Amino acid sequence: MSDVLDSLSGARAPKPPPLSPALAAELDRLGPVKTRRPLRQLATLAGISLVYAAGLVAMFTVRGDLDELPMPWLVAAGLAWLLGFVIPCYLALVPRPGQVMPRWGWAAVSAVVASIAFVVLGLFVHPSGAHSKYLGWEHLPKGHTCLELGVASALVPVIAGALFLRRALPVGSRWVAAALGAGGGCLGGLVLHLHCPITDAPHVGLVHGGVVLVSALLSAAFVPRATEP
Amino acid sequence: MARYVDGDAVAFRELYAAVAPRLLGYLMKMAKSRALADDLLQQTFLKVHRARSAYVRGADPLPWIYAIAHRTFIDETRRKKRAVVQPAEEVPEVAAGITGEPDGTRDEPADPELTKAALEALEDLPTGQREAVVLTKLDGKSVAEAAAIAGTTVGAMKVRAHRGYEALRKLLGARKEAQ
Repeated sequence: MSDVLDSLSGARAPKPPPLSPALAAELDRLGPVKTRRPLRQLATLAGISLVYAAGLVAMFTVRGDLDELPMPWLVAAGLAWLLGFVIPCYLALVPRPGQVMPRWGWAAVSAVVASIAFVVLGLFVHPSGAHSKYLGWEHLPKGHTCLELGVASALVPVIAGALFLRRALPVGSRWVAAALGAGGGCLGGLVLHLHCPITDAPHVGLVHGGVVLVSALLSAAFVPRATEP
Repeated sequence: MARYVDGDAVAFRELYAAVAPRLLGYLMKMAKSRALADDLLQQTFLKVHRARSAYVRGADPLPWIYAIAHRTFIDETRRKKRAVVQPAEEVPEVAAGITGEPDGTRDEPADPELTKAALEALEDLPTGQREAVVLTKLDGKSVAEAAAIAGTTVGAMKVRAHRGYEALRKLLGARKEAQ
């Protein structure tokens, strides 16, 4: 059997055809192009996204019960949302050294973990203060504005990521898009964490956490068209 | 690649001369038709050219170019599924491209009959298994490289390569018995 494979692998490589007229025409007007710089792109994406998120929080006001919440939880949750934003975006944008394509497998893992983790954490950990508000299971649909704000927050990182990865992903584009969406969703979660005073489990878990899942799904559905060559 | 993205057309032609024969061999084994493989090769390089700004300086462009070829083949297969299933009379066209003759690096000439039989058996494999065998056993890629090119996990690529190898062995055994 190995003889057969040896004979195939040792076979003479076929002679390729001459360049197509379309490609030859494009080569005639070939000029220098700026190539992708992944770490710089990540820094740019993070910078503009955080400025945008800060603008949204300023526009929609900071939650009224902020002073009443336990500071360790407030900081830990904020950091978790921030890491949830940065890690998937890093994996979606930055390839291993010496590679062109990002680590889509790890990006996929980060998207799935973020989508599940923030829902579960929100359902089980949701401290409240005297001025916090409650919707409960009965009025869960009333929290749709949080979902909309969260997804709107995800728009900038997702669009920026799609532009940076334009035509770069022949494979794994859907997972990379999902990671960008999950990262953007976590930025949305951070905005809601600082803006929304509703602290019941279903709202924090399913709506705030759900922003990550919804953003990841929407991004996976629409972004790959832009990122495939 | 760096000279090419800096606007050097000669560098592109050097890249084409270095990569196209190997890529064409891969596409011929996948597409089962020389004409279709030629077309896919042209499409692949056109895509590489249009996506050259996505290149990361200092990186090895080969896995990326192979992945673009893989994507182009998959898209083409989906677009016109019937194009992959070639009529029986077109099978020798593939064998005509890959003769089993030595490439100058081998001491002993390969058996052309065996090569032809292996190519025909390879064509009978499902696309995923065929690609795994072509990349890992014939093109000399590592399992990790093959997985990156095909857009799958290392574990899945290992399974595909193993199943493809076993299926190929069975198919060749059955052909020998039939003869």
